Amino acid sequence: MQLTPMPPALTLSERLYCLLLWLYPPKFRRIYRREMLLLFRDCYREARQKAGIREIIRFWCFILYELIITASVEHYRTMLALLRHLMGVEEKELLMANALLSLEVAACTDKGIKRPSNEDSVASMVPQDAQVLTQKGALFIVADGMGGFNLGDVASNLVVQQVSEYYYQDTNTDIGTSLVQAIRQANLALRQYIAAEAEKDFDARRMGTTCIAAILHDTTAYIANIGDSRAYIVREGQARQISQDHSWVAEQVRLGNLTSEEARSHEKRNVIYRCLGTEDDVKIDLFTEPVQDGDILVLCTDGLTNVVRDEELAAIVTQYNSQESTARLIALANENGGPDNITAVVAHVSLATQEQ
Amino acid sequence: MKNGVGHASRLSSLLTPAVFSILLALVDGERHGYGILQEISRRSAGSARMGPGTLYGSLRCMLAEGLVEEAGEHADPRSGGERRRYYRLSIVGRQAIQAERVRLTVRMAESKYRLCRADPRGELACS
Repeated sequence: MQLTPMPPALTLSERLYCLLLWLYPPKFRRIYRREMLLLFRDCYREARQKAGIREIIRFWCFILYELIITASVEHYRTMLALLRHLMGVEEKELLMANALLSLEVAACTDKGIKRPSNEDSVASMVPQDAQVLTQKGALFIVADGMGGFNLGDVASNLVVQQVSEYYYQDTNTDIGTSLVQAIRQANLALRQYIAAEAEKDFDARRMGTTCIAAILHDTTAYIANIGDSRAYIVREGQARQISQDHSWVAEQVRLGNLTSEEARSHEKRNVIYRCLGTEDDVKIDLFTEPVQDGDILVLCTDGLTNVVRDEELAAIVTQYNSQESTARLIALANENGGPDNITAVVAHVSLATQEQ
Repeated sequence: MKNGVGHASRLSSLLTPAVFSILLALVDGERHGYGILQEISRRSAGSARMGPGTLYGSLRCMLAEGLVEEAGEHADPRSGGERRRYYRLSIVGRQAIQAERVRLTVRMAESKYRLCRADPRGELACS
């Protein structure tokens, strides 16, 4: 960063402050000295105009107090950065040793054509910290909220945020258990929210959300599901649904009462029998799948799968990169009517061999 | 991308009250350091006070984490015509505000819920 020359006329106060700035670490001073001095001048002027000498004394007390604290904090940070730099070499080695999994990810959500608002939420988290990535893997999560405006979107958003937060805060290295536990905690948080909200808004009792979450860790995908949002693994152009829908129609297909074709257009296709927000002790399905180099993981809501066939989905994600795939999936769902909110996460997996 | 969180778990530890105030002050456009302080003071009706050290210390971390971006240097005619460095919110910064909003909503719901349970007649808590 360039050092710009000081403005010429400095008052006594400014000169004093300028001297005090030497208390900050050199690098910090180099970058912000001029800005801080300008800021000091503005604040000083403001104080003087406001209430004269008494305000100026108060102002100086505040400035000195703040300066001592923040200068200490900056020195502490500089030291920490230096330490990290010294240990940086080891960190890089660790990264090389474990950089087996590399991902190309995109996440996208769209209101669709028929719905007034978007109640879906999505997050994709690939930790930048190599150690966290090695320990906990990358998290992808999609939630389809229910309950209408200001309820469904809050439910899905809350669950997505909470799961991400709980999962990475938990130091448990048993990935599956940790993921299920994070969803359980998110469900309790949602339950608390609903209980509090229902005091004033009876409709809050209708709040709920589906949740499909996947962790890619090493050569394994851990997939947790509640509701009818889906996880697919696309391999060699074939889409395989990993999760099982907790929907009435899926149950009928499993029992042989409906064909999967009939289920797609059945009037009860949106009825689900399990979701987050309805009870404290929720049953969460967990699937563990090995992943191979070239696999594509897809998470999506029923707004996509009700109008886009598995073969179409597989063809799109195989042909295009993640960013392009999510855009095309959503565009196709909207071309087919876009009756519901549409969300998709697409992750292309590359696994390097151990020797590399 | 709606509701996307880049690295929210790390951000939640970074979002000090000062950082959150700065993020909010930048929501409606780019500002220089003094502009940020004025906005914070205006919104809190003068009760919140931040000094230059806290402001630039926070801004430095926020730049490193990608929450804000530098928006170049130019003069502000309202305060002396000196050239000043401007800052603006990044997409990550916007997402961080959204994430914090949800986190606070949950905290609020939790406290309300706990108070209601501890005080079932609801005279104190549930108004």
